[in-house]
Amino acid sequence: MAANLLRIATHEAENQLALSLRQAFLLLESNLRPPFPLTIPTSEEYQVLNCAILYGILTQPHHAKTHIKHLHAVVSDGYAFFVNLLVQVTNELLEKLVDSARNQLLWVTGEMVDVSAVGFDALLVSLLRQVVGGDFTDGNLWLCFEVATLFLSKWDSLLEEEPMVLTSGLYAFLRLLADHCRVSSRNSKLEALVRLEIEFCLKMLREQFHLCLKVGRDVIRLLQDLHHMPEFQAVWRDLVLNPTVFGTSGFLGIAQFYSTRTSSRYFLLRIPPMMETHLRFLLTQVKLGGQKRHQAWFASKYLFSPDRETLICDIVRFICCTHHPTKEIIQSDIIPRWAVIGWLLKFCRKNYVEANAKLALFYNWLFFDERADKLMDIEPAVLLMVCSVPKYVEITNSLLEFLFLLVDNYDMEHKEMITRGVLSSFNCLISKGVIHTFDVLTSSGVIFPLLRERLATFLLGMKAGIAKELRPIGPS
Amino acid sequence: MEMLCLKDIAPAAQNNINTQFILLDKGRANLEGGQTKTCLALVADETAAVHFQFWGDECDAFKPGDIIRLSNGIFSYNRNSLVLRAGKKGSIEKVGEFTMAYVETPNMSEIKWVPDPNNSRTYVQEAVISAYSRVFPPVL
Repeated sequence: MAANLLRIATHEAENQLALSLRQAFLLLESNLRPPFPLTIPTSEEYQVLNCAILYGILTQPHHAKTHIKHLHAVVSDGYAFFVNLLVQVTNELLEKLVDSARNQLLWVTGEMVDVSAVGFDALLVSLLRQVVGGDFTDGNLWLCFEVATLFLSKWDSLLEEEPMVLTSGLYAFLRLLADHCRVSSRNSKLEALVRLEIEFCLKMLREQFHLCLKVGRDVIRLLQDLHHMPEFQAVWRDLVLNPTVFGTSGFLGIAQFYSTRTSSRYFLLRIPPMMETHLRFLLTQVKLGGQKRHQAWFASKYLFSPDRETLICDIVRFICCTHHPTKEIIQSDIIPRWAVIGWLLKFCRKNYVEANAKLALFYNWLFFDERADKLMDIEPAVLLMVCSVPKYVEITNSLLEFLFLLVDNYDMEHKEMITRGVLSSFNCLISKGVIHTFDVLTSSGVIFPLLRERLATFLLGMKAGIAKELRPIGPS
Repeated sequence: MEMLCLKDIAPAAQNNINTQFILLDKGRANLEGGQTKTCLALVADETAAVHFQFWGDECDAFKPGDIIRLSNGIFSYNRNSLVLRAGKKGSIEKVGEFTMAYVETPNMSEIKWVPDPNNSRTYVQEAVISAYSRVFPPVL
């Protein structure tokens, strides 16, 4: 009799995927041992057979080698269907798998990489998404360790077959390192994990720099959180002082990262599929004014401890750059993105978490170029600032202040580039009609006068494009 | 097996309600008759809300945000309050979380029902006692 696949909670409906896997296994159990039938299956029979073999692999570790040999013998689609099943199991069931089945899932993933199965990169991405930020439980750290080990041990295959999946690994592990390094009392397991993550990231930066370049500006954002680590200080020194050492022709410096927009799919790497579903539901189905209960459920499920606040900057990045609502949604009474971000920002109890969240909100402003960047990336920030006046003006003040702090201090070597980026952002927001005027910010008595003046000066630069001088605006 | 919207349920002595809803809020557990744990809750779907009564180990098995499917449930008076519950012949199970829109009015438990003059075994709505639950006011 087959072992259980899942830890079952009482009163929970049986998962359809698990059910169909089990049913396939029970149907074909007698055919799963040699001698294997030699008849060519129909497409439907092939799919049922894949389901049965997968269930066997996950629940019968001692027969796993037989099952995989069977799969190799019957495969007729480059393992595409089988890998797709694995992706579904990872997305829907990983959390609930019994420990032995989870081990088997990681094992069979390695097997799929070894045969260059169709879609193995999507499977690795699914696994990366299941490593939850701010989660220091044994299970989650174990998963992180296993996935990092996979990426390192299969490096050559990945590089040859699907090099871009290595960039997904880079984004995820750079991001995870920032969290893992903050834990002050690291046990030896966490130490081993951190070493593995560092090894992978440095290998990417030193050996496959041209791939890292393709990820774009968020690499710099992520590397900044690691600048205190000796292992990355050498990387920083080279990036700033010695860019040619990376051996990528034409790479002249950090500005090249800045001017490359990071693709939306990278931000998805740090959002588990269920959280993505819930966020998208919140932003497409829940009306403004009726969001309190859904927000409370979201917070209690995902942001229930101070450690988990680290997810907020990833959620902000996702909302700004990956979830772009349709015109219908924007014009409807559904809760807008800026309102959800305003709510999230209030969760931040630690200063560096709040700073990271605001940086995530403004990051695409800093290097905005209308030809290469997207208006919808920068829209939530301006609407949050404008719509918070006057009821929540402390948000507007805090965001404006932070924006100017970024312009002045984010990268002083590239201050001109950043100033141009922020000016372009303001310009594009007005010219595309996201807002019609900045008067609410420059003329409102409840916004700090210094900020109003700074903004007015800044906006003069937008119109004139020349050096500006201070000018009093409106009643003080 | 016909799935009903909450706006279409009416009190009856039969276990005939099949429906799906999201759990909005749960009260504290009580000991009914000193023996069975019960817990009153506010549940809703896109059409209406209603008070649901969890029995026994159901009380701890569900949390706000859970989407629940009720099979063969019963909507009837239990100690003067009109509640939806699984009852002896029905069952509930969790089928999801979060992804359901809902309304909190009308609340089917906060309605005065009277026997249908044409068919004394069924009930019809006579008046609204309260637009919203008086036990679980809306969260603003």
